[in-house]
Amino acid sequence: MQKTLLDVKDLTIKFRTDDGVVEAVNKVSLSVQEGETLGIVGETGAGKTTTALGIMGLVDSPPGKIEGGSILLDDTDLLKLGEEAVRKLRGKEISMIFQDPMTSLNPVFTVVEQIAEVIVNHQQLGEKEAEQKAIEMLELVRIPAERAYEYPHQFSGGMKQRVVIAIALACNPRLLIADEPTTALDVTIQAQVLELMKDLKTKSKTSMIMITHDLGVVSEICDKVAIMYAGEIVESGSLEDIFENPLHPYTNGLFGSIPDIDKEVEFLSPIEGLVPDPSDLPSGCKFHPRCKYAQHLCRVEDPSFREYSPGHFTKCFVHEGKLSVKEVKKYE
Amino acid sequence: MSNSYIEVKNLKKYFQTPAGNLHAVDGLDFSIAKGKTIGVVGESGCGKSTTGRLMTMLLEPTEGEILFNGTDVTKLSHKGMAEYRKKIQIIFQDPFSSLNPRKTVFHSIVEPLDIHRVYRDKADKENRVYELMELVGLSERFVNSYPHELDGGRRQRIGIARALALSPEFIVCDEPVSALDVSIQAQILNLLKRLQLQFGYTYMFITHDLSVVKHFTEEIMVMYLGQVVEKAPVKQLFANPRHPYTRALLSAIPVPNLKKKKERILLQGEITSPINPKNECRFAARCSFATDECRSSTPEITDLGCGHTVRCFRVHELEEMRP
Repeated sequence: MQKTLLDVKDLTIKFRTDDGVVEAVNKVSLSVQEGETLGIVGETGAGKTTTALGIMGLVDSPPGKIEGGSILLDDTDLLKLGEEAVRKLRGKEISMIFQDPMTSLNPVFTVVEQIAEVIVNHQQLGEKEAEQKAIEMLELVRIPAERAYEYPHQFSGGMKQRVVIAIALACNPRLLIADEPTTALDVTIQAQVLELMKDLKTKSKTSMIMITHDLGVVSEICDKVAIMYAGEIVESGSLEDIFENPLHPYTNGLFGSIPDIDKEVEFLSPIEGLVPDPSDLPSGCKFHPRCKYAQHLCRVEDPSFREYSPGHFTKCFVHEGKLSVKEVKKYE
Repeated sequence: MSNSYIEVKNLKKYFQTPAGNLHAVDGLDFSIAKGKTIGVVGESGCGKSTTGRLMTMLLEPTEGEILFNGTDVTKLSHKGMAEYRKKIQIIFQDPFSSLNPRKTVFHSIVEPLDIHRVYRDKADKENRVYELMELVGLSERFVNSYPHELDGGRRQRIGIARALALSPEFIVCDEPVSALDVSIQAQILNLLKRLQLQFGYTYMFITHDLSVVKHFTEEIMVMYLGQVVEKAPVKQLFANPRHPYTRALLSAIPVPNLKKKKERILLQGEITSPINPKNECRFAARCSFATDECRSSTPEITDLGCGHTVRCFRVHELEEMRP
């Protein structure tokens, strides 16, 4: 039995804005075992990034506020720690890779300085040793040591993202959160970065949370998947559960709307409608306005998040047996 | 082939840079039949967007001809160009930056109608705007909204409505869905397809995502550093890609299917510089099959028949090497 590294329970994050309260993350629970990779999948505004920032203790407050829940790393609740203590963990125990490598590096420092900064901050090392270690990190992500003293603008997008990965891994974190790490990259470069991450995962046994909208990327690298919609997890389970036996209508809709390279179809089958405005969420089940199976009950009551087979959870009245429809049709 | 609707011959666009000539588009030849779609696929910097801009004459080609119904549009007079521009339109990638933030939906859509003075009567013009909004699936209630009040999918619909306003014949779609979420992507792709069936538009569909074009086009051109490395009917290209770059590109796409895990061809390194390219195969630096010949001269296009062409010295040898 693997040890649980991260255990998030009922995390709720709200933002107070002029247009009202935005419920960005609503009672999200997830866990990551040691050495495991969890994929969080969802569309823009589903709350994926906010969940990650919540775990990192980086939600801007105000306007954001963590309203409830707990985030246990081992047995310490990160939400109960002071800011200083969380700052010490960040970069050392948990690190994050952001989507856009173009903006997450500082343009006026060389890449080696940026990597060494993390090492100096968290480990008892002098500047020379830190620099040495930083160069080792660069080589780990397959950037030749002679380029260490160059500035970010001298690197291409794929290489910048590798520098960002090197920074995130510099202190050997136990949990790495990667927020759309390959979205800004070309496919062949994305393939290189994914290959690198897979390699690092097997070598260093780092646990990972991979945030993405691309189910293809998930199938490459993740062990477990959580599907988010409008601030909630609507389905979660092992990679096989989600890909072979998706339960929630939204999950099926997502799979159905991806153009499949191995199939011939005239028209795609999109999910009708739009992602709801997070400051004005629908009543009952948040997905009901776009759901083909929705009935009166879905409009008034919110289904509960239940386990249907070991480790496979979803949140839908069809599966609770409360609707006249008894089955969600699997995507084709 | 003289009766082709659009025919492009030896199209080139070089940009002057301090370091030398940047060969953005370097000798394209292709034709598109009326009512059909050609897909242009490639990674950043391959010249696919430049091609789109040349087709719409937003950029002037350095060399080459673009024949539209037999007329070379690169030589058109100012007046002739105004007429041509009515028939060709472009849909841009980013619905966030391609709309004027200070114009309402109505004003954005009506702008092309005003510029070309299509309607004398104000009521006719307004009706046309509402008609266009309905056509692209934008509810009337957004007519006075500003772009920032709308989400990406709706903004892209405005972009499409603008492009359709003058009843064009040929539309260049430059990555029209890459900035959108998957569920919205499918809606926009279906919309574009429906419009084509309804009005018989001819499309040039530019994208980096091979799985998107698969459902959309009859023919695909794969570009690499300003050149077409492979061109084929869509089924042929997917079933039997011949250029090493096309193969790598196809294998690099992460497929959301656990049962079909394919062997991945991992390309080494990154795209080389398009400034003053050497006399060699442009893909040679990243190609695992490259020989001395590939590094010392530029391959010509090999015609494999059935509209399948490849720019590779070793195309026949590599076919035999395949398992």
